[in-house]
Amino acid sequence: MENFEAAGAKVYVLSYDEAEAMADYRAAHNANFTMLSDPNSDVIRSFGILNTLIAEDDHPWYGIPYPGVYITDADGVIIEKFFENNFTVRPGPEQLLAALKGEEVLLKERTGVDAKVTVEVEFEGDTLPVGLSRQIVARFSVPEGIHIYDEPVPEGLVAASIEVDELSEGILSYTPVTPPTRSMTLSGDGHTLEVYEGDVVLRLPVAQNGRAIEKDDDGRWVSISGRVQWQACDSEACALPEEKRFNFRVPAAFAVLGDMGPGEGRVPAMNGAAHFKEMMTRRQTQG
Amino acid sequence: MQIERDTRGAELGPNQYEDAEGYIAPLPAGSGPRTNPLGEFPTGPAVGELLPDVVASASDGRTVDIHQDRNGQPVVLVFTRSVVW
Repeated sequence: MENFEAAGAKVYVLSYDEAEAMADYRAAHNANFTMLSDPNSDVIRSFGILNTLIAEDDHPWYGIPYPGVYITDADGVIIEKFFENNFTVRPGPEQLLAALKGEEVLLKERTGVDAKVTVEVEFEGDTLPVGLSRQIVARFSVPEGIHIYDEPVPEGLVAASIEVDELSEGILSYTPVTPPTRSMTLSGDGHTLEVYEGDVVLRLPVAQNGRAIEKDDDGRWVSISGRVQWQACDSEACALPEEKRFNFRVPAAFAVLGDMGPGEGRVPAMNGAAHFKEMMTRRQTQG
Repeated sequence: MQIERDTRGAELGPNQYEDAEGYIAPLPAGSGPRTNPLGEFPTGPAVGELLPDVVASASDGRTVDIHQDRNGQPVVLVFTRSVVW
């Protein structure tokens, strides 16, 4: 949360829960953000994101939104939004902060004639709880005169991408975040391809579904393995496709969820069961 | 836009249902809180639009109007399903 304050942004969390339920959550988690109660889903409806797949009498579920996040600039204009089809996963704070700050590209001095594309891959976070997506970040340094490609590419060319191994059971990847490309028309056949040049940062949000947690004496872990691929070309010829493998082993932390139980010591009771019952009653008796 | 619910998944045991991505929950995919959309679904105002007005009660009871309350600062507005369940 301090990071959001440092970035100069105000964070609001809105749901259809009653204000008292939110007050309990806020106290239990020591939350700094403003929580907004929308019990009749008026705001949710005004944004056009009411989940209309749920029947009106399906309590207490009716009234929830298609969940997502909007990021605005200082004028209140939306600059990015995060929505995924699976509601079990939500974007981690790192992604929201990156959207607020805008991607910072460090321009390095170019030295050497035969410089080649280098890439650094990192996992942007210390843990991976179930249901939170964090990104694998690949920072490419593409020397002047050379470029790498975005999809789609014709047969025989390899586009720049981050991929998680199919055998990485329990790890899911979501929509990649890519910078703008430049259109390049090949003089030969007039084909237009999208290229990346200079400092390029590709990001792949990943999450885990809890099925591949390994336990050992030090705790619970999850392994994320895969590769970054690319192919460098200059105006005349292409080098062979290249790849850089990665394998991140991170703690599989507990997710911070609404807790309907009595509280487990580290989180005080949030009266979840009582609030849930109240929500059901209110919705069932509502006209 | 005709949205379909995503009912892909399997029952693993009593109160244990996995969805298409392997997340496990006590309810089957396509029901209740797991009514995820298949394919495209509405995601509200587009990037580039001014954030619509939001006037709601905060957890402490006061009324908050986001565009006033933010005082010229950027906003992160999270729409979550519930903080109770």
